[in-house]
Amino acid sequence: MANLWQKLTHFKGNGWWNLPQSQAAQPNPQHEGPIGGPWLMNWWNWLTYGGKGHAGPRFYWGVGFFLAVVTLLEVWAFDWDFLGGWYVPLLLFLSVLKFVGVVAYFMHLRFDNRFYTYTFVSAMIVGIAIFTALLLLAEYAHQTPLF
Amino acid sequence: MTQAAVSNHHGSDEHHSSTGLDNRKLMMWAFLASDVMFFGTFIATYLVYRGKSLVGPYPSEILDIPITSVSTFVLLMSSLAMVLGLHYVKAGEKNKGTFWIGAVVVLGLVFIGFQVYEFNHFVNVGLTPRTNIFGTTFFILTGIHGAHVTIGVLWMAFLAYGNHVGTLRKDNAIDLEMAGLYWHFVDIVWIVIFTVIYLISANDTPPPGMESILH
Repeated sequence: MANLWQKLTHFKGNGWWNLPQSQAAQPNPQHEGPIGGPWLMNWWNWLTYGGKGHAGPRFYWGVGFFLAVVTLLEVWAFDWDFLGGWYVPLLLFLSVLKFVGVVAYFMHLRFDNRFYTYTFVSAMIVGIAIFTALLLLAEYAHQTPLF
Repeated sequence: MTQAAVSNHHGSDEHHSSTGLDNRKLMMWAFLASDVMFFGTFIATYLVYRGKSLVGPYPSEILDIPITSVSTFVLLMSSLAMVLGLHYVKAGEKNKGTFWIGAVVVLGLVFIGFQVYEFNHFVNVGLTPRTNIFGTTFFILTGIHGAHVTIGVLWMAFLAYGNHVGTLRKDNAIDLEMAGLYWHFVDIVWIVIFTVIYLISANDTPPPGMESILH
């Protein structure tokens, strides 16, 4: 029983109340880099002048160009009649791409302490829940309550 | 882990707390988190009342996608200018920092100019917040966003001046970083507004049997 307690509450000799912070909890964690693993690191190092700390101007220009192209695609898609029912999902997908691009790289969440990411993502989850609840409420408000 | 171990590698004057995070930066993220729900509610309200207007003008009659696309591009580029400005201020390159923060101010003013033009045009063709439910939800949502942009422009103007005279330096660049977070947030809100109101709703036609006041 004591052994189980030890396993549950300790890690490498330290109690959970005394665990060292993970590398991911540090500002500018060393693991930062592009999503995709080490095979992209050379490219990343070129863009960021070394792969440590925040990215450099070249990378920011690249993100800006990407956002501009996605916006152009969105406007272009406005005239694509052949999309039919795929129009709205496509726009939402492109918007998410832009959203993530700005939040992850311009707002530095990709580089910064993960607690900021948790704070923002938690709010996004609550915000989307409010958003969905309002839409469902409006959609089904005229119906007879089940209970 | 000690306080020193989590100190900022840029050597700034960030105020670290027991969490190892800068209080001011955490406050800004908490504020942005609350703003997510604020805007989320208004966007949901717009969607709830979408297509419920009983009189025109309707979105398909007055929304101008090409013009709004340009203003969206301008706001996106202001975000790029913002992040470049922060980079150069942190690097101690004062002139480049001032230039890019000034660019944020100019691009922000251009965006506001587009919005003023659009609002004026809509009022001239008969769409006001009182005309129909589309007008009410549209003006409230885009107006509140415009107010955010205006506050951001004033903030950036102060910071550009501060960088020019030397009160904003690389050791207190956290002031600019917080303003930058706010500015980028305003940008991502517009990304959603542009998609939901302009691109998706622009095809909303009058309900069957309803005459538009424009025709």
